[in-house]
Amino acid sequence: MSTSNDGSLTPRSQHASNCFDDLLDSIIADVASECHRIARLGLDRSLEAEEEELRLSQLSDSTRGAAGGEGSSKHGVDIFGQSHPAVASDIFECMNCGRPIVAGRFAPHLEKCMGKGRNARAKATRSTTVTRSRHSRGSPVSVYAPYSTSAQRAPNGTAGGVSEDPSDYNIEEQ
Amino acid sequence: MAPPPASIPAPCPHLSSYRSSSRNPFRHLRRSLRVRPLGLPSIRLDPLSHPHCPLCPSSSSSSSQSPLNTSSSSRLLACLSCGQVFCPSHASDHPVSSPGHHISVDLLRAELFCCSCSDQVYDSDFDSTVSIAQSPSFPSSSSSASTSSSPPSSKRRRVDFKQWDPNPSHSQLIRTRSTQLHPDPTSSNNPDLHPWGLRGLNNMGNTCFMNSVLQALLHTPPLRNYFLSDRHNRFLCARRSRKKSANGVDMCLVCDLDQIYSAAFSGDRSPFSPAKFLYSWWRLSSDLASYEQQDAHEFFISILDRIHDNLVEDQKISNNNGQGDCCIAHRIFSGILRSDVTCTYCGFTSTTYDPCIDLSLDLDSTHLTRQTARNGEKETKQKHNQNQSGPTTLMRCLEKFTRPERLDNEQKFYCQKCKERRESLKQMSIRKLPLVLCFHVKRFEHSTIKKTLRKIDSCLQFPFSLDMAAYLSSSVLRSRYGNRLLPVVENGTTEASISSGASSEFEIFAVVTHSGRLDAGHYVTYLRINNSWFKCDDAWVIKVEDSIVRESQAYMLFYVQKVLCYTAGGNTGTSTGTIEPV
Repeated sequence: MSTSNDGSLTPRSQHASNCFDDLLDSIIADVASECHRIARLGLDRSLEAEEEELRLSQLSDSTRGAAGGEGSSKHGVDIFGQSHPAVASDIFECMNCGRPIVAGRFAPHLEKCMGKGRNARAKATRSTTVTRSRHSRGSPVSVYAPYSTSAQRAPNGTAGGVSEDPSDYNIEEQ
Repeated sequence: MAPPPASIPAPCPHLSSYRSSSRNPFRHLRRSLRVRPLGLPSIRLDPLSHPHCPLCPSSSSSSSQSPLNTSSSSRLLACLSCGQVFCPSHASDHPVSSPGHHISVDLLRAELFCCSCSDQVYDSDFDSTVSIAQSPSFPSSSSSASTSSSPPSSKRRRVDFKQWDPNPSHSQLIRTRSTQLHPDPTSSNNPDLHPWGLRGLNNMGNTCFMNSVLQALLHTPPLRNYFLSDRHNRFLCARRSRKKSANGVDMCLVCDLDQIYSAAFSGDRSPFSPAKFLYSWWRLSSDLASYEQQDAHEFFISILDRIHDNLVEDQKISNNNGQGDCCIAHRIFSGILRSDVTCTYCGFTSTTYDPCIDLSLDLDSTHLTRQTARNGEKETKQKHNQNQSGPTTLMRCLEKFTRPERLDNEQKFYCQKCKERRESLKQMSIRKLPLVLCFHVKRFEHSTIKKTLRKIDSCLQFPFSLDMAAYLSSSVLRSRYGNRLLPVVENGTTEASISSGASSEFEIFAVVTHSGRLDAGHYVTYLRINNSWFKCDDAWVIKVEDSIVRESQAYMLFYVQKVLCYTAGGNTGTSTGTIEPV
């Protein structure tokens, strides 16, 4: 308990100060009591696991740089002893038009090949919810996929217009 | 799922003697237990009394009504034997003046305190007395109309795993209908040297997002087993044998996936081009089809949706039984989340259950971020009041996910009991864990300052072994009500008993990482097979050290349950009971 009694404090301030001290002590005692229970009943085992992981990753922190980043990939050979060109050189037949296409350029070919009026049925599924939120420039972003989990916090990264309606991402919708 | 069992510490000698001295040691407290709106118990001796410690000096004012009279401290104890009230600093005097009076109770917190040991002590009978007093405030499983009603309960009983011993007809079937792959012991393709199923995937033009997810799926144990056990044979698929129709209904993405599994596990180690898969996927997801870098997580969700659609339509079964049994995608990835919204005024809690196929976790972006030296710059951003040192960890993200959150004023919840909008607390927890847990790390966020999307580069530490017990509904509920030794009882059944009995321990097997910028980035998957890590960078498969994986920027993390449990299936033909253990 605070016993400092500054002579210049008014009795009212002193009351307030004492109240605050009481509240603070009470909060501290609450936390202490809860933690004591958790520790004594052995409910904090996950803490140990976390500390172990932190220790392991700090170890790898110290070896960072020595490994030269993510390891040589594009220069040597893979585990099977093979080497691969920057653009995949396999050739196969396009299943849309039948022409032989180089693997590494298949996607751009297919896009043109399937064209704007491609036959795929427009599916009004969860994926369209995501599309509404996508940037038109097609950067590799997902603000979040709203239907992946219905655990929505106030999102800190929503693009405008994304629906938060739970039925959008209820797997069991009928 | 059962929460981790709390171990009861051995009672101190004073507690033991108190217990033995009376038949029902704590029963008399029941009348005095009061439970506040959010379920926290306390002891009230007499509504009109002002308990205080007689041994503490009172303050300057002599009036007992003065608020300054509470100088006896915030913690008051009452002796269980005689009811005398005192503060912790004078507690040790009590057994001296009143011999045998060792055990007291904290009035505000309903915790036992041994005056002689000067320590908080625990007793299961006391805890059960408290739990019983708390039970009216436990949430009932009422649910809102927008989601599934009543907790989906796994009524199927557990069965023991039986090793599969093929009978003669099975053996013959295998001999005649399959081709055994004979690895050449001398070649570098020998699976004794390299694990089966490891094979590079060609990048067909900005398709690393697809390759990275496919690699993770190729090595998702239950999914791999499903395809390798011929559960979806692309040569026999009904959907595929339908006539080619205008709207692409003959496309079966599951068949294309089957083809990829066959290719990956064929023993051929030259990189494979998943062209047919890309084609089918574009045909079926026209809105996502374009030659552009896509988001791997979006792709993952899209694939699971397509698999679900393909399989559910074919089987014409109802997908609304809440068990996630509709298709292999949901059987593997679908879990159930529980959301509790509690009125802070009256304590009424509204509980809803929602299925989920992955968990999207916020990265704490206000956290310390330190760019790696690799990027040539070293920028340290520190919040002056940061309370965590070092990078974020997955477990901290999970803690944040299951922490009670106070809903702000705009989101006031309509309390059915109070019949008006009240401030409320919301808390998420996991009701049922999926077989395979996929964590999505939200690295792309809206910057409110620049009104653009930006990528959060901070490193996320993740464990290789993960115990999800603390994030289960049973643990979260137990902790909400003070971690008493008895599990929280709802509607006559405990959360622990409504479970599939599976364990909560997981092992990591795949990490999809993203490196680079928002608009010019690259996805790579790290696979963990037989305790070795392999980096799958499109066509390149390389063995790497643990440390490389730990340093990477995890975007999606895949964990599989360590122990698989079996439930009795409806008939031997269903796959419910036949998922093989890892």
